[in-house]
Amino acid sequence: MIFFLILIILMVLSFVAQQFIGPLPPFGARVFLMQIIMLYGAAALPTPGMLSLAFAGGLMWDLRHAQIVDGQVEIGIGWSVVLYTVLCSVMGGLRPLFQRGRWEIHCVLTGLCVAAIQLSEYLMLSVRRQPVVFSFSREIWWRIGGAGVAAAFLAPFFFFGLNYIAYMLGYDPHPERSRGQ
Amino acid sequence: MNARVNAIAIAGFAAVLIATMVFAGNQHNIRRMQAAFLGMVTPVLRSGSGIERKVTAYREGLKTLAELEKEVNQLRIANKELKATNQTLRGLEAENNRLRTALGYHERSVFQLMPAQIIGRDASTWYKTIVIDRGAEELVSPDMPVITEDGLVGKTTIVSAHSSVVVLISDESCKVAVTVEGSRDQGIVRGERAQTGSAPEITLNFLSKQARLTPGQKVFTSGVGGVFPAGVLVGEVREFKVRELDAYATIAPSVPLTTLQDVFVVVSETK
Repeated sequence: MIFFLILIILMVLSFVAQQFIGPLPPFGARVFLMQIIMLYGAAALPTPGMLSLAFAGGLMWDLRHAQIVDGQVEIGIGWSVVLYTVLCSVMGGLRPLFQRGRWEIHCVLTGLCVAAIQLSEYLMLSVRRQPVVFSFSREIWWRIGGAGVAAAFLAPFFFFGLNYIAYMLGYDPHPERSRGQ
Repeated sequence: MNARVNAIAIAGFAAVLIATMVFAGNQHNIRRMQAAFLGMVTPVLRSGSGIERKVTAYREGLKTLAELEKEVNQLRIANKELKATNQTLRGLEAENNRLRTALGYHERSVFQLMPAQIIGRDASTWYKTIVIDRGAEELVSPDMPVITEDGLVGKTTIVSAHSSVVVLISDESCKVAVTVEGSRDQGIVRGERAQTGSAPEITLNFLSKQARLTPGQKVFTSGVGGVFPAGVLVGEVREFKVRELDAYATIAPSVPLTTLQDVFVVVSETK
């Protein structure tokens, strides 16, 4: 429970901190720290914890970014929660592997999930904004893929640090590996 | 046992999610929720922004005495120039108002500006917004223009007690009616979802096919639409192209939108 609360606090702090990180050159891909912590939590915590983190992450994102244009809400509050829940469920589906202490795949998956979030947001905006145009230029692919690559690169550091915090707080994220030892 | 706990958790999650989506179904509730959330994170944003400013000030503060002296001299000259220009403009403003009164027009109002610091920037890929440290308690409300001495920045959207979100003119959802200097051409300026290069670019659309813009021509707000006052510099034409039905131009914003630190909110058009 304490570890879950720590993850929530870290998500809020990283959500604020990522606003001070500029876009990555040359095409402006962004660094998403909050999503990395959320996806770690999805792999490390049981289903209720995973769902709570997805809800907190999606709600924070929507409350900061939902725009009302010409009296219409572009992407309603709650859609990011749905998206994050789907992706967290994928991470949670590979939890048995994580419990055995193998989190390499989860790091790669974190990158893929972050890229999927960008792609989904882009598609949702393309549908909502008039005229409906699905333009997939090189810049757009770089922004989607670049965010995923940055997340996959940062994920091992975050996973290592968060595992360390978990052990310090008496929560074992890899119980099957511990049992094996 | 685990399966039962998971089933209860999923049912509870679905119920809370549906309740949230239903509650957030209208604009009024969304604005209230967004303002409340912005109010909650504002203290953390202020702290982060304070640290960022200190780091920047420290980095920029490492200058030699000669460099500082040169900078002070340049600032003194710029200050004198601005004072002189200001005096001239005040005279012109008074004369303009006298003439307008003589012609039976209403006296042109003067902006009342609220200085604000940027305490947060958007971390998302597709939106371009900033957070400023002024809110409803400082008389800021949604849809107020935000400017700097260089020109137009954007408009306020979400307003909490002591902070507000400003959507930048480089965002695709921010549309501004403009006129082009030295011509009668009018159009709508809007941002691009993904731009080439790191410097933001905006496009001027719905120009007449007969329009002939040249690079370097300045673009000003036209005042049409009611949100932005007329005569605020938006940027200058970089490239102009004629399409089958209309023409469009690429505009370089006059304000460095990615490195901004301080802005002014136009809280009123009367002093």
